[in-house]
Amino acid sequence: MDITRQRSFLHDEAQFARALARASAGAIIFALPLLMTMEMWELGFYMDRFRLALFILVTLPVLFGLSYFAGFEETFCWQDDLIDALSAFAVGFLMSAALLTVFAIVRLDQPLPEIIGKIALQSVPASIGAMLARKQLGQQDDSDKERRIRSSYPGELFLMGAGALFVGFNVAPTEEMILISYKMSPWHAVALAVLSLGLLHVFVYTVGFAGQESAGDDGFLSVFLRFSVAGYGIALLISLYLLWTFERIAGLSMMELVTATVVLGFPSALGAATARLIV
Amino acid sequence: MADIRENDIESRDEDGSASVSRLAWISSGVGLLLFLGSVGVLGYEGITRGSGPPAITAVVEEVVPAGPRWLAHIRVTNDGGKTGAKVQVEGQLMAGDEALETSVAEFDYVPAGSEQKGGLFFDRDPRAHDLRLRVLGYVEP
Repeated sequence: MDITRQRSFLHDEAQFARALARASAGAIIFALPLLMTMEMWELGFYMDRFRLALFILVTLPVLFGLSYFAGFEETFCWQDDLIDALSAFAVGFLMSAALLTVFAIVRLDQPLPEIIGKIALQSVPASIGAMLARKQLGQQDDSDKERRIRSSYPGELFLMGAGALFVGFNVAPTEEMILISYKMSPWHAVALAVLSLGLLHVFVYTVGFAGQESAGDDGFLSVFLRFSVAGYGIALLISLYLLWTFERIAGLSMMELVTATVVLGFPSALGAATARLIV
Repeated sequence: MADIRENDIESRDEDGSASVSRLAWISSGVGLLLFLGSVGVLGYEGITRGSGPPAITAVVEEVVPAGPRWLAHIRVTNDGGKTGAKVQVEGQLMAGDEALETSVAEFDYVPAGSEQKGGLFFDRDPRAHDLRLRVLGYVEP
């Protein structure tokens, strides 16, 4: 009976309507910084169409994974997660469309691909925000089942990746990412990389990932390698992917490319480290 | 309250079908539609839009008085494959081969396949002269 009652969250009309409202709030709050960022509007129309399409495609599995681990409703089978993910995308897309229209960024006299590009790009952070809304704004009931899923190692890596993507995405579109890397010497870059890794490790320890209870016995080196180094690696890969998506790396020398990745890797690493807080 | 809900679920389970609420179906259906739609539009645009350089042209839409001066509304169109940034458009009032007046406008972006509007101010009435528009250049965004 207990499980049946929990199932009702996704199957009860009123409950689901409440969840949608909460998701809408989450979409606005989490996507607001990017909705009001000039570079995002411009990227929406000039960035490579295939890279944007790929970015949207990548979003769905991320939403699916977030639904599996956090979701705005308790889910028990993959169909539920898919419904969750698609609903979050719908909420994110519609909220972005509404706000961009109110801001007069999107106007009906613009060509359709331009309108779709602007809204679709914004719907990535907005739909992730919609998905996170349950955890942040709603009441949370950490069932034993959920906790068990979360403490699996691949699950932790996924959460770190999602956290890195979300926080990294919040700053990746801005010119400053490249500008900062231009100003930095190689030694600054090394210092930033060490700082990122150090903070990531401290955060993993103090924020306390689910796997930590057991990891505590494994000693410093094990936690450091399994979570901190792996997490920083994921953060750097996601940073590189974001820079590539936003066409920030074309024509950069190897040194500049690495520096830019390390610069964006800093917020991404913090996102990975605090994924437990955000997600 | 809890009893009612439990009864609800039981009756629904007896139906055996449509255990997911209608609202959930609708919202996820809309999500799927928007997802496939935006990926489709972007993919189609990516395939059909060439990858050539920006091809930007400028035309005068109309000339109106603006206080003691004159305003020529201009429209720039980009038929090329790439977006041009910082597009400069120069308008010259010509008397024969001699330029009487020159005005310049700069567009932040002229996206591929779209048009942007702007204006050039002149001291003389452009309708009385030959107004020559030239797109000077652009940078890649």
